[in-house]
Amino acid sequence: MTASEPTASGYNFAYLDEQTKRMIRRGLLKAVAIPGYQVPFGGREMPMPYGWGTGGMQLTASVLGQDDVLKVIDQGADDTTNAVSIRAFFERVAGVTTTTATGEADVIQTRHRIPEQPLRQGQILVFQVPIPEPLRFIEPSEEETRLMHALEEYGVMHVKLYEDIARHGHIATTYAYPVKVDGRYVTDPSPIPKFDNPKLHMSEALMLFGAGREKRLYAIPPYTRVESLDFEDHPFEVQEWDAPCALCGARDTFLDEVITDDRGGRMFVCSDTDYCQSRTEEVA
Amino acid sequence: MRWNAFDTPVHDSQRVYRQLLSAMAEPGTFAEVDGAPVPPSDAAIGTACWATLLTLCDLDTRVWLAPELDAAGLGEALAFHTGALRAQCPADADFALVTPATLEGSAEREAPGFCEGSDTYPDRSTTLVVVLDRLNSDGPWALSGPGIPGVRRLDPGEGGEALMTRLAANRSRFPLGLDAILTCDGRLAAVPRSTRITRVEEVDACMSP
Repeated sequence: MTASEPTASGYNFAYLDEQTKRMIRRGLLKAVAIPGYQVPFGGREMPMPYGWGTGGMQLTASVLGQDDVLKVIDQGADDTTNAVSIRAFFERVAGVTTTTATGEADVIQTRHRIPEQPLRQGQILVFQVPIPEPLRFIEPSEEETRLMHALEEYGVMHVKLYEDIARHGHIATTYAYPVKVDGRYVTDPSPIPKFDNPKLHMSEALMLFGAGREKRLYAIPPYTRVESLDFEDHPFEVQEWDAPCALCGARDTFLDEVITDDRGGRMFVCSDTDYCQSRTEEVA
Repeated sequence: MRWNAFDTPVHDSQRVYRQLLSAMAEPGTFAEVDGAPVPPSDAAIGTACWATLLTLCDLDTRVWLAPELDAAGLGEALAFHTGALRAQCPADADFALVTPATLEGSAEREAPGFCEGSDTYPDRSTTLVVVLDRLNSDGPWALSGPGIPGVRRLDPGEGGEALMTRLAANRSRFPLGLDAILTCDGRLAAVPRSTRITRVEEVDACMSP
């Protein structure tokens, strides 16, 4: 896979027009300056439906350069429809080199996972976000949630987690687990499993979040404090599995359950396909 | 001498933007802008400053120019190349081109009051583009906070006291505040409002007998 001229003609580099890119770029600078705060932006219509990563794509298109190497993952996998399509899209409209190797990528667009391999300084991770407002399920009014963020009025978020404990005996939120960024803004880390929350804390890579339908973008700069909300007597915990990955034997990764037949057969494998593959190749 | 735009606007502005983005994401780190047009010799701003304006400004932005920096036809060149509007007063500005002396004010002219955003929309604030005579890491100002593992040091040169005092005041008003892009010739750095700024006593001076 090598860089080439964009094969689609009639489009600007990376699809978006320059003025749209500048609008998003200015928004991203503000988002980085106010970590975790949601900046409204004039989201454009992209050639695919909302919910497929239009927010992430607009951010990727705005930061991507012709020398960048792009990786796209969907739930950790490089080879699912969403990932393949977005990768092909940027190959066509930007002619950039793409990769599946986490370490080789400059920009990684992701849907609902953070790669297992630790990211390095200089890399940019772009998250696709369905609902950017962590308070939305509690308070439907945008005006109210904006005010709650302004007043740092986050007690209700703890009430939600407490209700989990009252009902289930533990915090039952397993994905899109709310975090507090740099001690100020409560932020939705997008629907990543809470397993990935610790990777947000003091990450070496810059993390950008884009919600296309809701037209919001936000950021977590590298080396930033990110705490998952919890209680002293119910501290934040990540998922654990009884068995290692059935393919590579990893015990420290996020595992997906895969149904193998119609007689109840199933196996647990790494959700990060690149990580799993590189480990399998090492063993072989 | 003329004010030139980028040779290849799409790719050049993308490259400069990524330098700005990583400068903002990692305060106290520096980038050298190369391949950008050089301002005329009688201009009061350098390559990095001009490249920043070309990259970020367009007809949706209002720019305020400090009178002392509006030399060699910068205002006209900016309108011509980007379509940016001139802000009538500092509080209207999306971007403000300033020197540390501008921020300090003087007997004849009070310090300009830029927009810090609102409690509900702190992003609607002025971004300062500061023109400095020196921009190094070995200065008396210690930066910490998001984007900084530990501490980074900054030397913003002449008038740095006024600049850094103004930026340090951001912290008590967070999330309101001014974000600053610092430029010196071809070099740029940034200090966003999230950065904690303290003045470090000159260690050498204290240690010497």
